[in-house]
Amino acid sequence: MSVISLQGIKKIYHLGDNTVHALRGVSLDIEEGEFVAITGPSGSGKSTMMHILGCLDSPTEGSYLLNGKNVSNLPRQELADIRNRQIGFVFQGFNLLPRTTAVENVELPLLYTRPVMSNAERTKRAVEALTAMGLADRLDHHPSQLSGGQQQRVAIARALVNKPALILADEPTGNLDSKTSIEVMRLLQELREKQGITIVLITHEPEIAAYGTRIISVRDGVIISDEKNTPRNPEEDLAAVAPIAAASGY
Amino acid sequence: MGFGAHLIALAWQALMRNKAQTLLAMLGVTVGVGALVTSMALGRGAQEAIKDQLLAAGANMIIVNSGNYQTERAGAGGSPADHGYVPSPRPQRTPYLVKGPIPGFPNVRLLNAHFEDDPMAEHDHPLASDRLGDNMAGLGAAATLTLEDAEAIRSEIPGIDFVASGVHENARISLKADPTKQWFTRLHGTESDLPVIRSGWIFPYGRFLSASQVRDAEQDMVIGRVVADRLFGEGINPVGETIVLWNQDFRVIGVVDSTSWAAQPSAGDDQFDAIYIPVTTVHSLLNLSKLNTITITTESAGETTRISKQIEEILRRRHGITEQMPDDFTVKTQAQQLLGKGLSPDVARIVAGNLESIDALTIEQLSASLQRANRTMLALLAGVATVSLLVGGIGVMNLLLLSVTQRTREVGLRMAMGARGSDIASQFVLEAIVLSVVGGLIGAACGVLVAESLEQVFQWSTDVSVISMVFAIIVAAVLGVVSSVYPAHRASQLNPIGALHHE
Repeated sequence: MSVISLQGIKKIYHLGDNTVHALRGVSLDIEEGEFVAITGPSGSGKSTMMHILGCLDSPTEGSYLLNGKNVSNLPRQELADIRNRQIGFVFQGFNLLPRTTAVENVELPLLYTRPVMSNAERTKRAVEALTAMGLADRLDHHPSQLSGGQQQRVAIARALVNKPALILADEPTGNLDSKTSIEVMRLLQELREKQGITIVLITHEPEIAAYGTRIISVRDGVIISDEKNTPRNPEEDLAAVAPIAAASGY
Repeated sequence: MGFGAHLIALAWQALMRNKAQTLLAMLGVTVGVGALVTSMALGRGAQEAIKDQLLAAGANMIIVNSGNYQTERAGAGGSPADHGYVPSPRPQRTPYLVKGPIPGFPNVRLLNAHFEDDPMAEHDHPLASDRLGDNMAGLGAAATLTLEDAEAIRSEIPGIDFVASGVHENARISLKADPTKQWFTRLHGTESDLPVIRSGWIFPYGRFLSASQVRDAEQDMVIGRVVADRLFGEGINPVGETIVLWNQDFRVIGVVDSTSWAAQPSAGDDQFDAIYIPVTTVHSLLNLSKLNTITITTESAGETTRISKQIEEILRRRHGITEQMPDDFTVKTQAQQLLGKGLSPDVARIVAGNLESIDALTIEQLSASLQRANRTMLALLAGVATVSLLVGGIGVMNLLLLSVTQRTREVGLRMAMGARGSDIASQFVLEAIVLSVVGGLIGAACGVLVAESLEQVFQWSTDVSVISMVFAIIVAAVLGVVSSVYPAHRASQLNPIGALHHE
């Protein structure tokens, strides 16, 4: 069974008198353990795809099965519960709460889990997720006390903490330097390889998309290509970047 | 609960991200709640002050006078109209002693019954009843109370605090040092408990009669402030001076003055234009055994009406008064006397004429009429407090609206993480409650401080109650909820996508 199954998805926005066809019929299946990179220029419809895949928005037409359940026309409240349990988001610019510790940031999705989780259980899970990200010694740091890469790892820990079926990463490397970007990609690859987590990555950068096992190109609201890919090896890229970083004293 | 505490901590954290705004909004609530607590403290203080003053003026006091100027039994069986009662000629009171010889007993000499004083005394003048042909005449002046009556009241009625018996005369007194200085005043033969009964008394000089002075019938005298002013001059300590009464020397041991605005000393009044000597001294010097009054205070101020009814029953029984006969004594509550106080004679007469209908007057009712005026002032203060609370509420709402705008991204993030609209709404409501309750707590503390300083600086009476504090905190919490409804609703309706990309 596919984790994600889109059938004839259309999304039409009405902006005043203008009608925008953001998606013009997208059909797509994503299997468990895939690392899918969705790429395309701005205005291609990849952001709209990401919103629909993330249950942040509902399609105008077509059906979306997430883990076999049709989620295309659910009320707001049920969509919120599905986001909470099944989808882990990683956003561009981290979107961590300022003046809030790493643990508290990671606990955020657990606050909205039903049935209500005890304080101790929430903290335990958040600490586990941060430890898995190698941040065991940064639990009580505020985002401003963390480097960009560390912040992104906190964000990934937050996405993973509720054990979702799917990680949805929206331009996760948008604000990062190349070395940190490569490190984040290595991390996502490890999650897929070691834990079998399904990852959907939205990016406009082809070199970032190249870390995925499958690359889907979108343009003008339709899929123009959908190909298997041999993922780039982040270790080689890191080795290439490292001397520059060392020279710049980074 | 732990979860709730965590949410409150989170709300506090969110509030502290905008310290200046939060503190300003909190200040609004603080001022409102502070005003509320202060005005409630002032209101309660005024109520307590009125009650204290009424107690000090003797509103819990019952005075039994011997004699009765009424000729009808008051209140027996209620109103005639209620029971279809037809007035019938009153049965003649059978004189228990008849004048003149009794047929068959020529040697027995009969005495005149004399209600005016000692019934056993022999008099050569006709009784008022003989002279006027009305066998009720003269009862008003009868000295019918005894020390035993006082003892019966003391021992038989529950709810009584103190009982003091007294003899009252008019007397002319003069200074021994300067016999030209004279004053005509009321003389009270009394007991040592009287100052406890008259709780509004203070003694600027000396003290009141002691129990041993009363027991030993000593020639000691306490004088009212009016007497002291007239005989010795204002502000002069007369303790130790000698006053001549009935050609006997009396040592002045104290001066009595009033603490209550409801009973200010004035010439001709019964309390402060008066002298007090032991009742036993009066009895021994004048060779008397009568009492004019028995003064009683009740433990609970509202019980004067019930207890005066019981006193009537006991005295009627002890004096052998039959159902249809009027009392040979009068029971008055001080509340009734207070009502007539300060009124013009005409009005006072009307009040006195209606005494029967205000017999049931209790201290609560009396204080209620005074509190009506107080309540008007209180309503004004409460109005001011309400307006400031309203302004405080608007401040909270303003802060939250601003906060919703500033934190749109955060709201979007939380929604993406699975927060429902209701979760977001309750977060903002909770923040408002935390803000208002913290502001309210500070406000309540400030209110207490303000009330205390008003009391210290202006001598206003205030009374801060725990209930009013709790009430103020609850008001603050409700204020928080009400003012957060609109901002919280707006936040909960945000679209997660728009919110996430909000800059």
